[in-house]
Amino acid sequence: MMKPFQSIAVGYDGSHDAKVAARWAMEAAKDFGAVVTVVHATGLREHLHQQYEPDVTPPELIALARECAFEESGLHWLIANGDACSVLLRMASPPINADMLVVGSRGEGKREGLLLGSTSLEVAEHASVPVVVVPSSYVEN
Amino acid sequence: MVLVVNETFDDSSHEDAGHPERPDRLVAARTAIDDLHLDEDLVVVPAHSATREELVRVHIGSYLDELSAYCYSGGGDIDQDTYATLNSFTIAKYAAGSGLAVIDELQRRNDGVGFVAARPPGHHALADRAMGFCLLNNVAVAAAALRSQGERVLIVDWDVHHGNGTQQIFWDVPEVLYVSTHQWPLFPGSGSVNEVGGRHATDRTVNIPLPPGATGDVVRRGIDEMAAPVIDAFDPTWVLVSAGFDAHREDPMADLRLTSGDFALMARGVSDYAPQPGRLVMFLEGGYDLGALRSSIHASLSAALGQTYDGESPSNGGPGTEQIERMRQARRSTIELLHASDDEEST
Repeated sequence: MMKPFQSIAVGYDGSHDAKVAARWAMEAAKDFGAVVTVVHATGLREHLHQQYEPDVTPPELIALARECAFEESGLHWLIANGDACSVLLRMASPPINADMLVVGSRGEGKREGLLLGSTSLEVAEHASVPVVVVPSSYVEN
Repeated sequence: MVLVVNETFDDSSHEDAGHPERPDRLVAARTAIDDLHLDEDLVVVPAHSATREELVRVHIGSYLDELSAYCYSGGGDIDQDTYATLNSFTIAKYAAGSGLAVIDELQRRNDGVGFVAARPPGHHALADRAMGFCLLNNVAVAAAALRSQGERVLIVDWDVHHGNGTQQIFWDVPEVLYVSTHQWPLFPGSGSVNEVGGRHATDRTVNIPLPPGATGDVVRRGIDEMAAPVIDAFDPTWVLVSAGFDAHREDPMADLRLTSGDFALMARGVSDYAPQPGRLVMFLEGGYDLGALRSSIHASLSAALGQTYDGESPSNGGPGTEQIERMRQARRSTIELLHASDDEEST
């Protein structure tokens, strides 16, 4: 029998796709009894215009947790230096030890069949734990 | 002493409106070279586009195919920082080939200092992925070429960001020693003191992470105390510098407090590691304040050429000095643990 997932990490950049992915992660975490780490990758340019505060969970994530009836105590907000792919892959290592990575699909505007420019495909290719790519149009029933 | 620089391939179409990694950076670099008034001591070598054979020493073939296809289909954002345009693959191949052209000329002359003023920069580019404004790893392509000739290559990376791509590419390569000073924590998140190299190259990576606000005296002390003994033991035959200038106090991308005078001192320091004339090449990496970039390149090249630099004074008094000894000990402990682990496995 498969061991239940205990720690789910989801990439977050504030986009629609990221919110859809975060919602899916929280719904799944409820079923598994897992914690959710929502991680934002701070890129090079974000040094110029910081998008998020390290110690302040974005209100929209708290609202999402409430909508999903997901315990806020199981929701962890993290900002990490790096590109989105590297940062999410790092979540599978200590101290987070995520046993599932979740990412939005970000399909629009990308060249079909190319890994380049697609965080979801890059993460799926390099990850050491299961990866869930949540489609942009996904709605929890 | 002569300065050998690459002829700049037209990079104007690798541009994204408002992006800090922009063509004006090379204008500033060329102006800095003009400021040296070298006349006949300035040698400009023809542009060279790196061949696939030269690139696959450091990048995997499927990545080159992906990057090529991505660009030729119009390009776009690769990640939150990195962009490509229709012509970016062509321009990146010229940037990667520039170092090879400069090295060829230095080998022919057995004299001079090389400076590669090309973009996009390279030290974040991984073997299989673009990131951090970088598409192809220019300094790595040059180091790999030298390694294939039997050389021992020291790469000193003084860009304010850790050169994760260069470190990854040479992680387990004993013929290349990678030394990086960088602000930490900062993008790309790698570069801790415990990252010392792979199993076949333990001690061939030296990371010197520095706190925000660190000044030039702290950087130099870190190099002297943590890297110099390793460099001396390595005894390089070539010295390549990932010369980013975003550790300058005017640069908007980070928080170190260096001045152009500090870059002059660091350039003088790395020159001393070159075993003979014609064995030192600097590669432009970051540096986004155009005035600081111009003055810092001028200072670095002046010092490397043995000229006096009388611009900004070196900086001192910033934080970080107190942690250098702790970092040195942590690095030594890590290496001892890795060696002990290897010994256990072999018995």
